[in-house]
Amino acid sequence: MSPVLDTAAGAAPPRRRRRLRPADRLHRALFHLAGIIVAVLFLAPIAFLVLAAFRPAAEAVSPPLPPWPKAGPSLDSFARLDAFGEGIWHYAGNSLIVAVATGALTILVSVLAGYGFSRYRFPLKGVVFVLILATIMVPFQSILTPLFLVLAKLGLQNSLVGLVLIYVTLQLPFSVFMMRNAFDAIPKEIEEAARIDGVRGLKLLLRVLAPLALPGIVSVGLFAFLNAWNEFLAALVFLTDERNYTLPVMMMVVRQGRFGSIDWGALQAGVTLMMIPCLLLFLALQRFYIRGLTAGAVK
Amino acid sequence: MQKYAVAAAGGTAPDALSLDLIYTPSFAASGQLQDITDLAKSLPYFDQLSKAHLSVGTYQDRIYGLPFSADSSVLVWNKKLFREAGLDPDKGPTTWAEIRADAEKVDALGNGVDGFYFSGNCGGCNIFTFTPLIWASGGDIFNADGTEATIDTPQMRDAVAFYQGMVKDGLVPAGSQTDTGSNFFAAFATGKIGISPSGAFAIGALNEQFPDLEYGVTFLPGKEGGSSSFAGGDNFVVSSGTDKMEAIKAFLDYAYSLEGQTLLARNGSLPVRADVAKEALAGLDERYLIAAEAMANGKTPYSVVFNDLINSANGPWISMLNKAFFGDEASIGPAVEEGQAAMQSIIDTAG
Amino acid sequence: MSAITGQALAARPAVSPRRSRRRRRDLAGLLYVAPALALVLFVLPLGMTVWMSLHNWPLLGLPRWIGLANYKALWNDKAFWRSLGFTAHYTLFATIGLLGTGLALALFAQGTGRVVALYRTAFFLPVVIGFASASLLWAWLANVDSGLFPALFEALGLTSGRVNILATFDPAFWSVTVMVVWKMAGFYMVILMSGLQAIPADYTEAARIDGASALQRFRHITLPLIRRPFALALVLCVSGSMLAFDQFYIILAGGPQNQTVTAVYWIFNTSFVSFRLGYGAALSMVLLVILVALSVVQMWLLRDKEEAR
Repeated sequence: MSPVLDTAAGAAPPRRRRRLRPADRLHRALFHLAGIIVAVLFLAPIAFLVLAAFRPAAEAVSPPLPPWPKAGPSLDSFARLDAFGEGIWHYAGNSLIVAVATGALTILVSVLAGYGFSRYRFPLKGVVFVLILATIMVPFQSILTPLFLVLAKLGLQNSLVGLVLIYVTLQLPFSVFMMRNAFDAIPKEIEEAARIDGVRGLKLLLRVLAPLALPGIVSVGLFAFLNAWNEFLAALVFLTDERNYTLPVMMMVVRQGRFGSIDWGALQAGVTLMMIPCLLLFLALQRFYIRGLTAGAVK
Repeated sequence: MQKYAVAAAGGTAPDALSLDLIYTPSFAASGQLQDITDLAKSLPYFDQLSKAHLSVGTYQDRIYGLPFSADSSVLVWNKKLFREAGLDPDKGPTTWAEIRADAEKVDALGNGVDGFYFSGNCGGCNIFTFTPLIWASGGDIFNADGTEATIDTPQMRDAVAFYQGMVKDGLVPAGSQTDTGSNFFAAFATGKIGISPSGAFAIGALNEQFPDLEYGVTFLPGKEGGSSSFAGGDNFVVSSGTDKMEAIKAFLDYAYSLEGQTLLARNGSLPVRADVAKEALAGLDERYLIAAEAMANGKTPYSVVFNDLINSANGPWISMLNKAFFGDEASIGPAVEEGQAAMQSIIDTAG
Repeated sequence: MSAITGQALAARPAVSPRRSRRRRRDLAGLLYVAPALALVLFVLPLGMTVWMSLHNWPLLGLPRWIGLANYKALWNDKAFWRSLGFTAHYTLFATIGLLGTGLALALFAQGTGRVVALYRTAFFLPVVIGFASASLLWAWLANVDSGLFPALFEALGLTSGRVNILATFDPAFWSVTVMVVWKMAGFYMVILMSGLQAIPADYTEAARIDGASALQRFRHITLPLIRRPFALALVLCVSGSMLAFDQFYIILAGGPQNQTVTAVYWIFNTSFVSFRLGYGAALSMVLLVILVALSVVQMWLLRDKEEAR
């Protein structure tokens, strides 16, 4: 794989600006026309949702044609959403706690493990590494039932802590693999130099190597955060007390309606709240996201 | 209100709780509940308590649940639309044929108005509002102890055909087919539905949220007349092994007193003690009296696997109804036969 | 993979030859890896799945050993096999839709330049929003009373009156599949693009000069080079679709008439709605075996092509 990539990078012909022939110009115009249409199609559902979330109560029940609030934007839908259960910020808080804790713990565990696998030799190392990667083969959907009992035994059922542990486990194969590669890519000389200066062990890892592996760490944390923020099935099964619900499960309550009526405006507001952090994080850290994705792809 | 009541009864731990009455048999069967037969029989007004609650509160001749709150199913109609359609706004339909005829007239108003609404993909809604049509016509869905499904009856086939006919003729909005209960109340509340089966809870909810809506309340009728209702609500149950029986008895005494029953009624539940019911409802919307009468004549199906059979979104009950309501005439037979077989098989597996 | 690491380690300047030192380093390595290993123990329930599947295991009350009875019951469980059949049906169409659209997007947006990068970002955005959000969004868009699609189709004159597109199987199935393609196509675009960008521009240029048609260039240059990422995309797409749950639970609740209950959905119902945990475990085992078999077949296909290259 990589030699091909190198060739591509090395042999890229210098770009020259030429005057375009009319046929080329037409071709280019058509290309961009198609590009814009398809891009709009991909963005439209999100745009419709966000616009519709700001419609006042009277408009919220009618179809989004047009999607924007005709009588001026209003926060009605968000206010009604806040009337569900403990209030929407409570559930957003649950989701945030779970996502941040999953991100942090995933980084911690996978940095340690990645460093261990990259720089140390110990018995059964190969087996252990393969074991961690192999868990990707076992979809957690197929072990939901026993997991439910195990968590209940440990007193972690219906708890955000239990959910975080599950999410971190699900992230591990990808994250450990990423971090091992990230540390492998750091030249040994840097480490040797630090060692000569008397920096060793954990300090060496934190002070010298971690900053160098930062792009990998960001990718790992980003994926863990987003996956935990968005996960639905495990949260649906393991959280039984409404106060512990994360956003996706709470929004399912909104979607089912209460007392025989459904509030689409509140649903739009809630889904908007769920989406915005993902979109912002992605746009800000796009590079790390795509890198993580393709690094996973290349394996 | 319920959480407070329960906390008051049992201290902090859930020594006692209120539970949808329909689940009392399955919890009792799993050994989670305390036998409270002696406590129940010691109440001087025991024979005045809701029979329907007690029937599902009893498992193998012992009492595990006592009535706590009550909700019955009724038929509501929109008086304003009735008037516009040239119907008597004060007279609700009393047979299936009348429902059908009135719905047609209202539907003919056009302009987004529909004649009839029901939640066509909601098991819980239909056990509540559709089974009474069958009961009032002389049919039933289980035998008395819930060991046999009796789905495949002429009454069931007739009732399904009755709904199907209204769907086919466009008297029912398209959203009904996929409504899993999320529109059960809201559809009628929009003021664009002529008639809809509903529950006593709707009286309080409509009065509070849609004070301008003029509506009437009547009984769910049988094919040729008569009436029935689903007696729903919560049972009061006690976790097995509790040591707080004193507090629980004190709580029940209060709950069943006139004061307790009145408080309950003000919070949207029907009274569960017959001899004080009228007094407890005094001063409230008169339509509650109809709902209370429906409650007194109501039934509650008995099954230890009620959830799997009826309430589950993918269970045999709603699958059968959805198929039959929105299919053609030829689809009714197979759907009902399949439903009967599937439900009997679930009962047998559990037994 | 471990071979490479081994080499790298061997190539390092010799570590202190003293045994105790080395043992300490061994221990340190294990310590670093230990937390990861501890969490992986969560996967041990796999063994427990087998154990549970041999019991009648209710939520309340005691489990009872019943040997293979769950598997026998499963053999006759029409609902389960129907859910598996539907899952396969969905996997087939979702895979075709996703890989087809993903490839088209990748071919379209493989160029350099800022505008093209913007297109790529637009195509990719739905990927990051999560299945639950996308499904809730779609549940609204497809709703007959308040959603976009039925009203839009009516306004465009495609249907007379508002049609409830979620009420019958074909439109309901396709609207969910379109949602999945909308949400995930960007993901497969990126995966496939990692292969496309590896194609040296002068290859295609040379082929063009030689008079190869667009189709020929695609067949002989593009296809062979994206084979590997394509195989990966195929594995991800098939296993992902076989485990579908969120979209059918949230948008359709398995309807109309339980025709869109997937395998995971059925396991969820059995285990966490009916609380027949033992039976649910048996169903999980069957699904797991099918998934592993599918993965093995696909891995084998992948390897085969690798060697053929």
